[in-house]
Amino acid sequence: MDRVGEATDGESFDGVQLALLSNRLDGIVKKMANTLLRTGRSGVLNMARDFSCCIVTADHELLTATESLPIHVLSGPDIMAAWMCEVHPDLKRGDAFLHNSPYHGCSHPADHTILVPVLDDAGVHRFTLAAKAHQADIGNSIPTTYHARARDVYEEGALIFPAVQIQRDYQNIDDIVRMCQMRIRVPGQWWGDYLAMIGAARIGERELMALGEDVGWDRLDAFAGQFFDYSEARMVSALRELPAGSASHSSTHDPIPGTPEEGVKINVTVAVDPEAARVRVDLRDNPDAMPCGLNLSEGCSRTAAMVGVFNSIDHTVPKNAGAFRRIDVDLRDDCVVGIPRHPTSCSAATTNVADRVSNSVQASMAKISEDIGLAECGASSPPAAAVVSGVNPETGKPYINQVFLGRTNGAASAKTDAWWTIGHVGNAGMCFLDSVELDELRLPIYVHARGFIPDTEGAGRTCGAPQGFAVYGPRVGTMSLIYNSDGTINGPKGVNGGLGGANAGQEKLTANGAEEEVPRVGQVHLDAGEMIVSRSCGGGGFGPPAERDPELVRYQVAEGFVSRDRAREVYGVALAEDGALLSKETDDLRAEATS
Amino acid sequence: MRFAVDTGGTFTDLIVEDDDNGLHMYKASTTPGDPINGVLDSLKLAADDFGLGLDALLAKGDLFIHGTTHAINAIVTGNTAKTAFLTTEGHRDILVFREGGRMEPFNFTVPYPQPYLPRALSYEVPGRILSDASEMAPLDEGRVVEILKELKSKDVEAVAVCLLWSIINSAHEDRVGELIEQHLPGVPYTLSHVLNPSLREYRRASSAAIDASLKPLMSAYMHNLTGRLSDAGFGGRVLIVTSQGGMMDAVDVAEHPIHLINSGPSMAPVSGRYFAREDEGSDTAVIADTGGTTYDVSLVRRGRIPWTRETWIGQPYRGHMTGFPSVDVKSIGAGGGSIAWVDDGGMLHVGPQSAGAVPGPSCYGQGGDKPTVTDASLVLGYLDPEFFLGGSMGLDLEAARGAIERDVAKPMGIGLEDAAAAIIAIATENMVQAIVDITVNQGIDPRDAILIGGGGAAGLNSTAIGRRLGSERVVIPEVGAALSAAGAMMSDLHSQYTRTFFATSEAFDAAGVNQILDGLEARCNAFINGPGAGSISQTIEFFAEARYPEQVWEIEVPLASPRFESDADVAALVEEFHKVHEDIFAINDPESSIEVVGWTASVKCLLKETESGSLAAAEEAASADGTRKVYFAETGYVDATVRRFEAMKAGETLPGPAIIESPFTTVVVDPGATAERRESGSVSIVPGVAPAAK
Repeated sequence: MDRVGEATDGESFDGVQLALLSNRLDGIVKKMANTLLRTGRSGVLNMARDFSCCIVTADHELLTATESLPIHVLSGPDIMAAWMCEVHPDLKRGDAFLHNSPYHGCSHPADHTILVPVLDDAGVHRFTLAAKAHQADIGNSIPTTYHARARDVYEEGALIFPAVQIQRDYQNIDDIVRMCQMRIRVPGQWWGDYLAMIGAARIGERELMALGEDVGWDRLDAFAGQFFDYSEARMVSALRELPAGSASHSSTHDPIPGTPEEGVKINVTVAVDPEAARVRVDLRDNPDAMPCGLNLSEGCSRTAAMVGVFNSIDHTVPKNAGAFRRIDVDLRDDCVVGIPRHPTSCSAATTNVADRVSNSVQASMAKISEDIGLAECGASSPPAAAVVSGVNPETGKPYINQVFLGRTNGAASAKTDAWWTIGHVGNAGMCFLDSVELDELRLPIYVHARGFIPDTEGAGRTCGAPQGFAVYGPRVGTMSLIYNSDGTINGPKGVNGGLGGANAGQEKLTANGAEEEVPRVGQVHLDAGEMIVSRSCGGGGFGPPAERDPELVRYQVAEGFVSRDRAREVYGVALAEDGALLSKETDDLRAEATS
Repeated sequence: MRFAVDTGGTFTDLIVEDDDNGLHMYKASTTPGDPINGVLDSLKLAADDFGLGLDALLAKGDLFIHGTTHAINAIVTGNTAKTAFLTTEGHRDILVFREGGRMEPFNFTVPYPQPYLPRALSYEVPGRILSDASEMAPLDEGRVVEILKELKSKDVEAVAVCLLWSIINSAHEDRVGELIEQHLPGVPYTLSHVLNPSLREYRRASSAAIDASLKPLMSAYMHNLTGRLSDAGFGGRVLIVTSQGGMMDAVDVAEHPIHLINSGPSMAPVSGRYFAREDEGSDTAVIADTGGTTYDVSLVRRGRIPWTRETWIGQPYRGHMTGFPSVDVKSIGAGGGSIAWVDDGGMLHVGPQSAGAVPGPSCYGQGGDKPTVTDASLVLGYLDPEFFLGGSMGLDLEAARGAIERDVAKPMGIGLEDAAAAIIAIATENMVQAIVDITVNQGIDPRDAILIGGGGAAGLNSTAIGRRLGSERVVIPEVGAALSAAGAMMSDLHSQYTRTFFATSEAFDAAGVNQILDGLEARCNAFINGPGAGSISQTIEFFAEARYPEQVWEIEVPLASPRFESDADVAALVEEFHKVHEDIFAINDPESSIEVVGWTASVKCLLKETESGSLAAAEEAASADGTRKVYFAETGYVDATVRRFEAMKAGETLPGPAIIESPFTTVVVDPGATAERRESGSVSIVPGVAPAAK
């Protein structure tokens, strides 16, 4: 077995010092995240927590991104930091760079990222800190941060910042700030979020400087090298526990303008080689980039593949460049899930097709072994996660923000039932849900209802989430909603005998209560009195439902998530009128089904 | 004479204050089946010590102050009442959704948590209030009555009610309360706007649910406690320690048992504030209370004890958030019982698994065979195997050595003592991170704070923690082993009232705000004239919960004057907000206006003239002074001076390496550190720097 301290030259750290330093670095990232959450101004930041912070080494390897959104960080910050150094070779203390270019490492343009290089007293670049936050608005041609129907980056319309300097000597470069204020809707909100991001990055810088001075910069570098070796060793152990094998899985994004009529079919092949302790994910057998906003950035292509791998194995393996050495992701240029060429649009790169990639990888892992992997999580993003905008007639002020009113989508894993409110697979449930009262206070919105829909879970030995629903609309005035609801046609699949979760759906409720059809992907305008009905997908089940512990089914029925009829028909579980489990009858039902 | 009893997970601590303000400390075992037995056991220990019968001792007392984990234990073990949840139509799943969020994004071995109250007992009430207090749909009273009848048929024992916007317009919630009294007479219930008038429906619903579910049990407990104390001869007043760091009468707290969630741990910072000021003249402190299985960290910031609404029962996002204001206490699973293990990449971990009190560390010889922090302390010579808990329990050194050798030293390829020192180092770092977490959230730089160590095991690594944090002083109070009970002895009668009322500095409605403050002050005065009648002195303080526009996380800003008489008063509030924001988050936006969403008045009634944290002079104990071999990572084995805690004179200094021992605690003074005994009885340590490595 590879062991700590054997592979790296120079100073050697024992397992104690490694633990101490990795703890301290995680502490710095947590401190950055806390600042962003508590001081951000937009709901997507301070209510939903749609942001991430991380530390990258001077040679552009991800060191730690503890408790971040997976799709934001596994790959991307590394590429962005490298690009920053390439175009700004003469870094100085006090510099900060704004980066949102999907052609240079950023996930998608909505994720404004502040990069701060950390330099020692001799001016040597030691680390790069990234504070990355999904914005309420970025100045797209229509009021959304996910423009799925944009044919290219020009139709998207946002300002693209490929590591543009925004601070020098700790002072803002006002030209850049003014450009943002002229392009981004509700500029005061952006400005508040920008301050929060800069604050987070500078707090991280202050803490990392203190650590470097305390421990010594060269020792910290040596630590990073050995921490990567340690993480690689953990990854090796995790992969050696898996059986050898290869499996493929396909998952199709629903069609939208700019895609083929059958939608975007994603094909993934995963090969696990425990002897070499490597896992390979091949994304090359996929269509070319498309004239729409669904294409993945390079960062998201790599990350989406890695999310599926890490979801499937021992979760305690540290996620950093050391562990990544054991994963090969095959990408090709100009592919919908590869390396995009400018001006291909990657507007919705973190969610829709990226989720199809991660889901395919984790489902492939499940096909390789019953003991690992997950079923498919539900697709995103239904109107419960729309970007809403308009002018509040009571105040005359414009508003724009993404709401988080209740998606579920969680998939069953080999080990246990789903985490229901996963949001979408790349988000991992890290985002918060909006408080109805806070939304109604901050926006001219009325939230009529939200909850769970019975009999919609992906049934299995372990179960996927039931559907989440939300019903809402403007309280006063006219409201624009823009959303990209995948999964209405292609719902989340189960694996290894598990059943699929329910498909997504959406309708408009007119003022007199009639239902009207609305687009799956696009913009809807609602007047006061009208509402949208949003149903997220459920999540896929894992293993045959007839193998589920009957006591768990009894609980699902008692709590109203599953009907008695469904318990009998799908799970083979018999329950009395009062909900009591009928064990003998259940055994008979299940025996009958298998005979 | 006064008694303060803190029932913890393992020990029931008693502090007795005699008529000369001297303190006496006792420890009995907690009796989880009937915790009042443990309370009476501790009082019997004191009675024996005073040479009195229990009834004679109790007859001398005028005040009995009690902190208890009974409420939190009831929740953890599922022993709460069968409780129904009533909420606004369309929002039945508030308790299932919670606020989203998740820890460990790649961990798919933990399923989605069950709601605090069963969904099967959650009901939707037609009727809707909007954010501007207007009624969009009237309350359907007929439907409410139907629901209540169903609850009766289901033998529901308590009811929690949380309707949307009840904090702005409580008419519907109040009416549901009346209907409960009418149709379910005698069934306890909680209305969310009465209990916890704050924004965010999940938090308010969660506090109401927790509160209602505890009512039958805790009112029985309070009745039982007062009755048995009275039967045993106590004729004084029974006060209960609350999560907010104050005291309430037992009968009042039975009405709002959510106050008991952090009863006990909330008192550690009250003690800490006293010792930071008394021993070091400081108004800022980090208080770390070390138990057998948990490590609780709390704070004092410029004389105030910070609070939070984000107290979790269980793990964040996997447990339940109380949503109710409480002293901010960060708890991690770390203590003497934490188990050391080496992962397959060769990295050493300590915890989160714990050997607990049973089977306990290897050296207890009670069936535990895993290496723990206590085992490491024994191997290093920090603990004396013959003098653990005053010699009442012998420790098996060979068992400790064997476990560490097998599970840590061999897998890591290092020597036994280095392995033991590594276990202490990792445990220390885990504790440091807990301190960093809470100080980050509350915006305190631990370098500016006095570190106060409480709990029997605090002294083992407090010097090391102090060094890592950059603390100038580490204080181990003489009553540190019963820090919460000592804090209870120093605390005040307390109550707090909050109103939601929106104000902005752009167009400040001074008249409206003053009217709110008038109302809050009237409630404080009612408290002063009620429970506070006869108290020595009373103080009322006002706070604003404020933020920048569009922010959603408010910070608490004290008001400099009790009313807004002029623009200057408003400007002073704005100025103070910018300052506090920068303190906590290192940034502010001085050009921006501010918004205030809530107003709070806090009232305190002082029940005693003097505070004391000193033990009454004990008889000179048989001296165990001398030296013993103790191992430190930097020096290897050295001869450390051993002193009895109570034998050190005030002002006496002792340079490390040294061990200071009492029957309740052991303080390790590392090489390079210096200890000094204070007038109060505390040991105050300058952590200094470690000597160069061997």
